[in-house]
Amino acid sequence: MTEHHHDHDHDRTVKPMVDEITDFEVLEIALRELCIEKGIFTAEEHRRFTEFAEQIGPTPAARLVARAWLDPDFKSLALAEPMTASKEVGVDWLEPTGFGTPSDFTAFQILEDTSTVHNVIVCALCSCYPRPILGNSPEWYRTPNYRRRLVRWPRQVLAEFGLYLSDDVEVRVQDSNQKHRFMVMPMRPEGTDGWTEEQLTEIITRDCLIGVALPKAGVTTNVITATRAAMHPAGD
Amino acid sequence: MSNAAERATQLDLVARLKSAYPELPDAPTPDLLDHDRFVAYLKPVHDVGGEPDAPIKYENKDYEYWEHMTYVICEVLAWRGIWLSEERRRIGNVDVGRAVYLGFPYYGRWLLSVARVLIEKHHIGLTELSERMAEVKERYADGLEGQTLEARPKSEGDGSQVKRNSHIVHAVGKGDPQVYAGKAGAPQFKVGDPVVVRELPVLFYTRTPEYVRGARGEIAAVAYESPAAEDETWDIPDAKPEWFYIVRFSMAELWDDFNGPATDSLRTEIPERWLQAG
Repeated sequence: MTEHHHDHDHDRTVKPMVDEITDFEVLEIALRELCIEKGIFTAEEHRRFTEFAEQIGPTPAARLVARAWLDPDFKSLALAEPMTASKEVGVDWLEPTGFGTPSDFTAFQILEDTSTVHNVIVCALCSCYPRPILGNSPEWYRTPNYRRRLVRWPRQVLAEFGLYLSDDVEVRVQDSNQKHRFMVMPMRPEGTDGWTEEQLTEIITRDCLIGVALPKAGVTTNVITATRAAMHPAGD
Repeated sequence: MSNAAERATQLDLVARLKSAYPELPDAPTPDLLDHDRFVAYLKPVHDVGGEPDAPIKYENKDYEYWEHMTYVICEVLAWRGIWLSEERRRIGNVDVGRAVYLGFPYYGRWLLSVARVLIEKHHIGLTELSERMAEVKERYADGLEGQTLEARPKSEGDGSQVKRNSHIVHAVGKGDPQVYAGKAGAPQFKVGDPVVVRELPVLFYTRTPEYVRGARGEIAAVAYESPAAEDETWDIPDAKPEWFYIVRFSMAELWDDFNGPATDSLRTEIPERWLQAG
């Protein structure tokens, strides 16, 4: 430690005087340097995966659902061969390694909502999530809190997202805990007659594809919008 | 350099970190530890489903640079055959123990698992890592002050002598679990079969959640063939693939205190070794 540590108090509620490097940042940089020096992976491989990871997000999944709403044949394909349907919205589940993104595997399934079934996904063990087509999971999805409670009190948790479902709708929790990755295909809402694929894509938010919200004409944002800022954000 | 008072303060902080039953002394004698607490201590800590908790405010979070880089490093290590993602899950989500599991940020555990696997598999030495951490810390001793965080490797190794797994060869062009297709024989169960989840003793790792063990369900889908997580997490080279099933449970039967409609259900994926005809 350097001398500046000793002339301010250590109360964690006080903002540090200096923009210090964190313990996690030190460890990550040290590990990455050693990996490259030892040829465990190359800087080029690391760069390629970083570029891949930076372009994933929920838009292809929203587009897939919008197209399925408009085209019954595509909907059948999406439900029967979801990875083939993914390719039509630009997602090849075998990329970028030739065997997929290692943590997500290549077993994708789309869960169709009906007038009597509402699907919602969780991974009670970690945070299994269809990253290649939906991007990285939101922070709340990974909390022990959501994972503990959704498998046992799903209607209460959904109510906290503002989603109240009547008793004649089966709530079907999918605990995604092995190699399958799931997303929800919600029903097309009222008030969207004559809409284009572009218009429909905008109302199919990430939260709708997880199953904690339903698409609604005019609503293009997630339910959870509060966002904690990063100290040293990615992309800076 | 820290002073004696600072060292004592840190020891006080560690001493307040509790992760044991308060009714028992530290390191209890065997007669004080009953079966239920034995199971609780050995429960893989990632398995939180069904544990009581109160509502919290759900939030998104912007990515720290190191979090994004940690995700990438983990995936690149799997891409280059250093580990299977199932090894990562055990090391980062279970082996860390309850205090770190609940006390650390999500990607903090991912990052620890990188250090752990590289050291355990002899790719790097612990002292070499500590020395490099000290060096990186020294580079930014005056704070970031507008500098960007960056890795500055001193060289680039050719990697030809690095020991890698065979999965990255076999799975290319097929995917996982497709690489295991046709290797498990005939499935023992079919859609609609009633099953009971076995109550096998659990040591160290499983992905069959505690909340379904002993429960009755019904086969909803015959999913795919794969080695079970209990084998894959150690990268057992000749682990025999088995059938996985999506099993449907009635919420009203699964949970003692469930007060929702009788039609509500839960589905989860379970390998054949954990199921018996019910």
